[in-house]
Amino acid sequence: MELKVNQDNCLGCGVCVISCPVNAEISPENAGGNGSKTEEVVTMIENGFVKIFCADKCKKCGTCQMFCPCDAIWVE
Amino acid sequence: MIKNVKEVKDKDFNIERSAEEIRNLSFKNHVCIGCGICESTCPVSAIELEEIGAISRNKINTTFSGHDKLPQNIHKGFDKAKLTIDEHKCVLCGMCSGLCPADALELTINGVPIANIDSYPHFISFAEIDDDECIYCQKCQTACPRDAITVERKLPNRADLVSGEIEVNEDDCIYCGICKEMCPAEAIEVDSVTGEESIVIDKDKCVYCLVCKKSCPTDAIKAVCRICSYGDYDINPEDAVVTGSAIIDQELCVKCGWCEGVCPTDAAKHKKPFKGSLDVDQNKCQTCGACADVCPCDALTIPSLKGPVKVDNVIKRDEYCIRCGACEKTCPNDAITVKITNVDYTPTNSKTWIEALEALKN
Repeated sequence: MELKVNQDNCLGCGVCVISCPVNAEISPENAGGNGSKTEEVVTMIENGFVKIFCADKCKKCGTCQMFCPCDAIWVE
Repeated sequence: MIKNVKEVKDKDFNIERSAEEIRNLSFKNHVCIGCGICESTCPVSAIELEEIGAISRNKINTTFSGHDKLPQNIHKGFDKAKLTIDEHKCVLCGMCSGLCPADALELTINGVPIANIDSYPHFISFAEIDDDECIYCQKCQTACPRDAITVERKLPNRADLVSGEIEVNEDDCIYCGICKEMCPAEAIEVDSVTGEESIVIDKDKCVYCLVCKKSCPTDAIKAVCRICSYGDYDINPEDAVVTGSAIIDQELCVKCGWCEGVCPTDAAKHKKPFKGSLDVDQNKCQTCGACADVCPCDALTIPSLKGPVKVDNVIKRDEYCIRCGACEKTCPNDAITVKITNVDYTPTNSKTWIEALEALKN
């Protein structure tokens, strides 16, 4: 299984980025909503859409998928 | 050449080999708790555990632990079983079946499950409800994290537990319907339509509480409760007994002990197959709630915040943990450590089996 995104569905709300427990560990400032200071995180919002940066760091817990309001990110 | 044949049905499957004896390994997806013991035990690495966190959270209209009800977005076409077995690698040894704490995998030899064959070891564990002690309160049914308990009960007849007299003097009754609205037992029917007025009191429902008598504006109801005046002398205590049955679905039960924990009598008893410990590093935890959602025994919960109070990120109910390790495998922050220190199993002569069972300890 791997993390997948569909940018066509994405609203760029950033809920997946903030809720991701791996992001939170790598870049705690994410939680404030200002975005990560490093690109070493799993996901980030870039140009208004979610983008996967380090797919190998994803632990497939399904938290992003659980919060995403528009089926734009999932583990499959 | 002897070949393994795999038959897949929905998310369950059967792998069968017919030679001198017929061996069949069946998997029940709804029973699987996602602990991954089978995966690490399989001597030929034929088993692969899927990402159990993502699978167990891909549900619609579910309250996820730690996060109040959210509109869930299920990804279309997402449909995965919790584990897969490569039938070309599988040798049908039954190791996974013997070590599965939930009995989701079951090997049968000529139709007999290996749990019933004495030469194969199996875990010593049980959960049972003693019908003699059970008072059919249904607390265990509510608490069971696997919905494995069904408590059916037959309540006593209400009319057998009360005693009294009631009658309406229709000369005084104005059919206002106040008594009907006041009656807590819904025992009174009043028709107030002009020309068709009537009042009927159902004596099977009436509990002689006398609310109707007290509320009647014209004092048309005469009623008396015999128990208030003379005590329980004409009530048979046997009529007040609740009867029923409490059944545990052994297929779903994981022997977590919630039933015993909530039972107000000594009716529910259980024994877990493993002893060990569950440790949560609260500093590593990022409260994603994956552990709480995969835990088959509701032993982990994410507390909901009620005001600016410092609470633990995860609350564990140690007494209900079966040390299966599903949470440890799922936790994306490696905040959980599950250790098994003792495995209780029936004796066996097989060195390989003993080694596999002892390897569960860490």
